[in-house]
Amino acid sequence: MAAVNRKWTDGMLHTEDWWAVWLGLIMFFAGLLTIWGVDLVGWMTKTKTWEWGKFWSDPSFNKLLAAAHTKEGQAYAGMGGFASLLVTYIVFTALTCIGAYFQKLDVKKFFMGFTCIFFITWGAWIIGHEAHFKALKTGQSITQAEIYGDNVFCTTKVNKCSAQINKALKGMGVDVMAGQVPTQEQAAAAVGKSKNAIRMSWGLQLGGGFSYMLALAVGLIIGNLFKGFAGFLKEGAKPEWFIKTAIVYLGIKLGLMSMKAAGFALELALAGAAATFVAYLLFWPIVYWMGRKLFRLRRDASAVLSSGISICGVSASIATAGAIRAKPILPIAVSMLIVVFAMIELVILPTFYATVAPGQPIVNGAAMGMTVKTDGADAAAGAILDEMMVANHYRTTGETWEADWILSAAILTKIWIDVFIGVWAFVLALIWVYKVERRPDQDHVGASEIWFRFPKFVIGYFIAWLTYVAIAVWFPDAIKAASSGAGVVQSPMRKMMFMLTFVAIGVITDFSKLKGMGRLTVLYAIALFIVIAPIAYFVAWIFHHGMMPPIAQAG
Amino acid sequence: MKADVELNLVHDGEQWIARGDALVAVGETLQDVDSNIGRALRDSGAFPRGSSVTVFMGFDFDTIPTWLRQYHTHYFNRYITVNL
Repeated sequence: MAAVNRKWTDGMLHTEDWWAVWLGLIMFFAGLLTIWGVDLVGWMTKTKTWEWGKFWSDPSFNKLLAAAHTKEGQAYAGMGGFASLLVTYIVFTALTCIGAYFQKLDVKKFFMGFTCIFFITWGAWIIGHEAHFKALKTGQSITQAEIYGDNVFCTTKVNKCSAQINKALKGMGVDVMAGQVPTQEQAAAAVGKSKNAIRMSWGLQLGGGFSYMLALAVGLIIGNLFKGFAGFLKEGAKPEWFIKTAIVYLGIKLGLMSMKAAGFALELALAGAAATFVAYLLFWPIVYWMGRKLFRLRRDASAVLSSGISICGVSASIATAGAIRAKPILPIAVSMLIVVFAMIELVILPTFYATVAPGQPIVNGAAMGMTVKTDGADAAAGAILDEMMVANHYRTTGETWEADWILSAAILTKIWIDVFIGVWAFVLALIWVYKVERRPDQDHVGASEIWFRFPKFVIGYFIAWLTYVAIAVWFPDAIKAASSGAGVVQSPMRKMMFMLTFVAIGVITDFSKLKGMGRLTVLYAIALFIVIAPIAYFVAWIFHHGMMPPIAQAG
Repeated sequence: MKADVELNLVHDGEQWIARGDALVAVGETLQDVDSNIGRALRDSGAFPRGSSVTVFMGFDFDTIPTWLRQYHTHYFNRYITVNL
């Protein structure tokens, strides 16, 4: 029988959800090998921050890209930027094409689409790393502009840059950490000696978030203005697959962060679970009531829409429609709404939260997770919010929050929601079969439905997270070596999957799909912006207020 | 749960269709489909009168649009018991 889930193992080779686990775990295990001194991931390309004028004075790929090899992977050290990009392309194209084959996609079309999306992604990423867009000012330039000048920017992490300048000053006999103040000449010389400090007449200081926004904009332009090309790319545009794989890699990041701040990570996970549970119990009945009483929707339409908008988007609407045995056209219509509105949220919410509540980073992240209704859009919005808030906070205070905690808050609330959907759909199925449509000739609901609806990529996320926690607890001596390979997987690899998601999500979003959706669109918009978003924020605030990302240490 | 009869279930936009090796049952609602399955089983004579037949219907997820399958991979399966 075609595409029917029966055994618990069904779908392991054929579904995107499972392939996110496989792609995630392949690289996770490859990264772990640095514990034994083997670097199997050092070929991965990473972007470098580059400056337009310096680049054109002597153009080279090595100024834009580099292999992200670890200490164990010195063999990759001679690999140029272009070669490492090529290897990255070959490895990821091969892996995703294998996945596409097993998922019964058209492999040739997937290959063509993925190839175009891959290079569009890297093009956007490289442009986004131009220093005038991305580079932040050094701490010295923000707090002591009268000595250092207010035009010193940093082409790496700002803490690292500041440390380089301080080290150069110490070499000149000025110990700023002991309170000594350099002259303007000494400061200028130290800036000149710093490997990563550059002077520029202007800079937007947008941080890494600019690359994400650029990728999204490129994707949206293709999806809405070049629909023929978007159709060509569509088979390779799989934002949910890319983002679920990225979320497995993010499990590694959370594992590494837990090594440094175990208490905070646990607190974040528990607060996310509690907030999600409370939000759940409020969202669903309110939206269901609105659908039935205010918009006179049928019971099944109201239930499917309520789950879609209040729980976890497309996944929830399909799960609910299946649970109540609704005609498949219903979740398909609701899903179109969800995908388009998720994009609108992705464009609006990060800037809105960062502007309205700059002092509540974790609350903002958690609220994002409960408000944006697809995994792809939520993770994307969380990533933009994270980059934006870290950069804004640094610009205004000179203090650097550790990156990715805000993103983790957004992902953790979303993951709890995803996990709950199986249980919620099961409860709805019981209510529908045994109460709403109760009949003497008995339709049985199996508990296996919970497993079939369980989001499998979550398994990969928790395996990655808990493995690194276990290493920290039981093999503390291996932490340094384990972090080495993990750093490649959780940083450039994860960010590449995010970037692919941004382009792909833009490509598949066609705003003209909202036309003709009538009452459903109006209800969706009202419920989302007047009910869900404010309640989500309030609940996120109750459970997360006062939580702040740790302060980054100077490297 | 072990089933005596296994059927593939789809919706063609207007009606549900349950199809197996030896029988096809259609209906606007699932209740209609169930009734028609019972009738088809009785007519087929494959099971003795008075027996209780467990029928499994697995929804064919391949009928969900491709772009939607990346978000979720399961619709529903159902078991019914038909008393002949």
